[in-house]
Amino acid sequence: MGARILLTAVLLLAACDKPEIAPNATGGEAAARGKTAAERLGCGACHAMSGIWPQGTTGPSLERFAQRGMIAGRYPNRPDNLAAFLRNSSGTAMPTVTMTAAQADDIAAFLHEQ
Amino acid sequence: MRSETGFDPDLYQRFPTQEERPAEEEEELRRIWCAPHGWEYLTVVNNNYVGIFYLGTAFLFFLLAGVLALLMRVQLAAPLMEVLPQATYNQVFTMHGTVMMFLFAVPMVEAAGVLLLPQMLAARDLPFPRLSAYAFWAYAVGGLAFFASLFVGLAPDGGWFMYPPYTSKAYSPGINADFWLLGIGFIEISAIAGAIEIIVGVLRTRAPGMSLDKMPIFAWAMLVFAVMIIIAFPSVILATLLLEIERAFNWPFFDAARGGDPVLWQHLFWFFGHPEVYIIFLPAAGMMSMIVPTVAKAELVGYRLIVLAMIATGFISFGVWAHHMFTVGLPPMTTGFFSAASMAVSLPAGIQVFSWIATLAIGRPRFNAPGLFVLGSIVIFVTGGLTGVMVALVPFDWQAHDTYFIVAHLHYVLIGGMVFPLFAAMYYWIPMVSSRAMSERLAKWVFGLMFTGMNVAFMPMHLAGLMGMPRRVYTYLPGSGWDMLNLISTVGAFLFAFGVLLFLIDLARNFRMAPGGGNAGNVYGAGSLEWLPTELYSTRSIPVVKSREPLWDDPKISDNVEQGRYFLPRSATGLRETIVTSPLLAEPQYVQIMPGPSVWPLVAAIFTAFFFLALTVQAYMFGLASGVITVMAMLRWLSETDRPIAQDEVDIGAGIMVPTYMTGPRSHGWWAMVILMIVMAMISAMAMFGLAFLWSNQPTFWTPPALLGEGAPIALGYGLVVAAAVSSRWLHRIGNNWAVAPVLLAGLAAPLLTWLDIRMWSAVLAPDASGQGAAVFAILSLQGTVAAIGILFAAYLGWRALRGLITPTRNSTLDLACLFIGYCGAQGLVGTIFTRAVGA
Amino acid sequence: MSNSATLKAALGGWPPAVLDPAGPYAEPITRLAWALLLGGTAVLLIVLAALAVALWGKPALRKRLGGDRTIWIGGVVFPGVVLTALLVWGLWLTGSLQATAARAGEMRVRVTGEMWWWRVTYLGERGETVIRDANELHVPVGQPVLLELESADVLHSFWVPRLAGKMDMIPGRRNLLRIRAEQPGTYGGQCAEYCGGAHALMGFVVVAHTPESFARWRAERLAPPPPVSGRGPELFLASGCAGCHAIRGTPANGTAGPDLTHVGARRSLGAGILPNNRGTLAGWIADSQTIKPGNRMPNYKQFSPDDLNALAAYMESLK
Repeated sequence: MGARILLTAVLLLAACDKPEIAPNATGGEAAARGKTAAERLGCGACHAMSGIWPQGTTGPSLERFAQRGMIAGRYPNRPDNLAAFLRNSSGTAMPTVTMTAAQADDIAAFLHEQ
Repeated sequence: MRSETGFDPDLYQRFPTQEERPAEEEEELRRIWCAPHGWEYLTVVNNNYVGIFYLGTAFLFFLLAGVLALLMRVQLAAPLMEVLPQATYNQVFTMHGTVMMFLFAVPMVEAAGVLLLPQMLAARDLPFPRLSAYAFWAYAVGGLAFFASLFVGLAPDGGWFMYPPYTSKAYSPGINADFWLLGIGFIEISAIAGAIEIIVGVLRTRAPGMSLDKMPIFAWAMLVFAVMIIIAFPSVILATLLLEIERAFNWPFFDAARGGDPVLWQHLFWFFGHPEVYIIFLPAAGMMSMIVPTVAKAELVGYRLIVLAMIATGFISFGVWAHHMFTVGLPPMTTGFFSAASMAVSLPAGIQVFSWIATLAIGRPRFNAPGLFVLGSIVIFVTGGLTGVMVALVPFDWQAHDTYFIVAHLHYVLIGGMVFPLFAAMYYWIPMVSSRAMSERLAKWVFGLMFTGMNVAFMPMHLAGLMGMPRRVYTYLPGSGWDMLNLISTVGAFLFAFGVLLFLIDLARNFRMAPGGGNAGNVYGAGSLEWLPTELYSTRSIPVVKSREPLWDDPKISDNVEQGRYFLPRSATGLRETIVTSPLLAEPQYVQIMPGPSVWPLVAAIFTAFFFLALTVQAYMFGLASGVITVMAMLRWLSETDRPIAQDEVDIGAGIMVPTYMTGPRSHGWWAMVILMIVMAMISAMAMFGLAFLWSNQPTFWTPPALLGEGAPIALGYGLVVAAAVSSRWLHRIGNNWAVAPVLLAGLAAPLLTWLDIRMWSAVLAPDASGQGAAVFAILSLQGTVAAIGILFAAYLGWRALRGLITPTRNSTLDLACLFIGYCGAQGLVGTIFTRAVGA
Repeated sequence: MSNSATLKAALGGWPPAVLDPAGPYAEPITRLAWALLLGGTAVLLIVLAALAVALWGKPALRKRLGGDRTIWIGGVVFPGVVLTALLVWGLWLTGSLQATAARAGEMRVRVTGEMWWWRVTYLGERGETVIRDANELHVPVGQPVLLELESADVLHSFWVPRLAGKMDMIPGRRNLLRIRAEQPGTYGGQCAEYCGGAHALMGFVVVAHTPESFARWRAERLAPPPPVSGRGPELFLASGCAGCHAIRGTPANGTAGPDLTHVGARRSLGAGILPNNRGTLAGWIADSQTIKPGNRMPNYKQFSPDDLNALAAYMESLK
């Protein structure tokens, strides 16, 4: 009886933790490259991100972007979806900015570290 | 020469006197020069107090402007920081420069003069104590109100030099620029008042026997400083007046589209601005020349060379102003001249530096607190001087101008040439006014932090400038390579600030104000007179001076002075007194009766401040009321001057008799009025320069001026004004009862002449239509202002005459009124002709 | 053709621009600068040595240092000689670098400082306007170019350190500056006279082309622009943009703001502060005040997503 209570308690407590989103597989270096790319492509012209200038207000703030559920309200927020979105954002207000696949991946990593 | 005034120098042999002085003498001196209590601190005029208040206020501004600098450095520590948004940063850097230059640097050295000069010259006080009280209060109230503009977002943002067109109404529509313009007004008044005080004080109130070549170097430095203020400040006074008038009334002095010229401002500002930095440097160099001999325990090497060097610096510094304008597009011959002069001005500075090195070499220098700061000053100042020589070369300046290279240069020369000497001076002279000296142990830390911090902060800026970083930028882009340099600079700035903080802690722990007696004494063993035992009345008796370092050459002098064995061991008239002496050989001429505490300078100062502030915020009724009260307070103050004294002649010691009153060109009042006239003449000359400049640079906007022939009657009228003023004095001398009449009539006539002139010109030009019109009417307005003051003077003179206060022997007021009104006529005469001659 | 979609700070980097000249109007100044820096350091060391001797030297040495002679040599003779020599050098160099009036056939460009951008107008033989541009200057290598520097509002200063010293832009005056780039490349500059507001964000770039590249550039600029149609151009005219901006070949001929005929080809936006791509164009149009506070272009937040995209795409296409 005591063991069952204990087990239930443990299971209940474990349920209190939020299920973790799959961790970012690409790591810190990509995020650093992504920050540089975001600066050089001028993403700050529309978006506010920590450590990037300017802090544009035309688009939504991207601070703590990793915690958001959706990208532009359309796609589940995962690094691979995000990279794809960066390369083709048609259907939203965000213009598609020409960039390489590597840049897109890196920026996605950077945003998931926000 | 053996004697300058006919005074027999053998009379000095009577001193020190031998007989015992009665005890009541000292009691009476103490009573006459009593200390203030409570509210009396506001009405005190004794330089011992006013000097300390002044120094404290100036140091406060140093700290405030320093905090602004720290804010700037935090913002610039990394690219694109958002600690200070763009508009705020622009206000902060403007205030940093303005407060440092106008509210700290000049007042600080002036305050040092107020406090130290009478002691060094063994005078009881400055010649015009109420004037220095007025200057201080106007500065303190006005300066604090001006600084407060930061907290309400109304601080100016045009840089400390406020170049139009950015600062014209079109691009600076708010009252921020007006705050600067009118705020600087206080400092201008303060500086001129102080300068008059110092010139008369240094030349006329020295201890008997202290001929010019025995005068402490600091006194020489302050003399040159004060003369430079008289010549340089009028230029910025006029410039600020013109810009304010342009903003308020739309007279286009600096508007190229209507025949004005933005470059006119630059000339006017820098004609003041460059001498300004030597105005700041020379007194500090003078302090260095006092401290180095004491630190080295050796007499100053090259005293005469240093005096010549200071005079040369003062002189040459008036010929270098356009080196701030090398990129404006001036012709090569012009820039070449200014380049040569700018290089030449470094020679006298080098003379002083090598004199200090030579003095250190023949002595036994100690690394005490003043000693450390003196050494630090030499190293930093020489570095700054070398970069100064670099930018004196035009092609290099074409790259370095308006970059951080210049920021580095200016801070090296100002911190090395003024701030470090200032800290040396504070450690050195605080024992004179505090019952406790500062901590030597802490001083080493203060020095270490400040010296290291300063170099870490500013050395990298040379490189940043060469890498392309311009001045006055609130941020910079990443990838420029300026990041690391700026970060290092910020660290250095905070190191420097910690040093200052330590100093403040030391100050709080040890400084206990002792303006009279009970001070910490001659801690460093100096040889000059300010280290004689003093009370609030300064020294008990005024010694005969025979050498440059009296305390070193006569070990008994302190005791003799305290026993009253020299001049004026008592108050001869029962009032505050000091001896007025001749300018070259300091022979006693007369006793000056000096005022005690008075509320009128305070009232006048506060309402002067209110007047300027009211104009800034456009509260015109309040401004008018304040102006009226100011004038009334000043008249009330003046009415206390020039009063009859019971005794005509008094014994100032050992049976030597001198008068208690002096009239004519030997009186200190006459000297003050002449200096004031020079100031007014310089303002007028600058206005005329403005007219000539606009004519030569904007000829397409010129219309033929009013006719010289038609202006002749007005010119003649002004000539008669001058004649009337002269004749009044002459009539008075020969005992005529109607002597006052001509100058009174002249004082009333002068404004009428100005009004006629204005009417004549209004038919030809409009002041808001062209630069020419604006400049002509500016000259007319100046004339009108002088004439209006002349009416006041005439009315005051009339009142005094009616009260019977003008007698055959007591006629200083008449003299001064004649001088002023005569000047008014002369200025009008020149102006009437000049305005019609330019471009005719 | 460099990638204008990304941005690197044009001015700065290593070696220091002032010490890395790229043309004959900067190179002599660099030589002078080196002489001054090395000489100045040497003099500082001498003075420090003298000070050290004064403090810690042997008594005999100190005694020699402690006389009037030190002052005369150190304060008068030595500086007098050295400074005179430097002055002569400086005066001669000033004369040789001073921009004289335009020579026959010389390329002339008028650069007008505005708050906070640069209006660039290429002039023809008779001083007539041939090409209008902003924030960049295109020149052929190896040829002197005379710049006529003016200001439309307050004081500015034109400074491209690798090519020449700076010269102020003053309303009511025209200052001349001659530059010449010896190598193809991009040379950065920045406004060097405080002009209020976003003075810190007023950058500039000089692009030096090989002769063929320059000829191509010039031909592109002079060629009649292709006709345009579509949502972007419609919006441009309908939203009031033409009140300030001009696009050759369309009815838009506003002059208050930069000419946009070839905005898509510019190396940056906002006078050197943003990279030039569709995203930053959209951001600038929508909210330039956040990026460059106080700049003279108001925000245009009223566009729908499709409209904003169309405008940005149109701007991007204007190469």
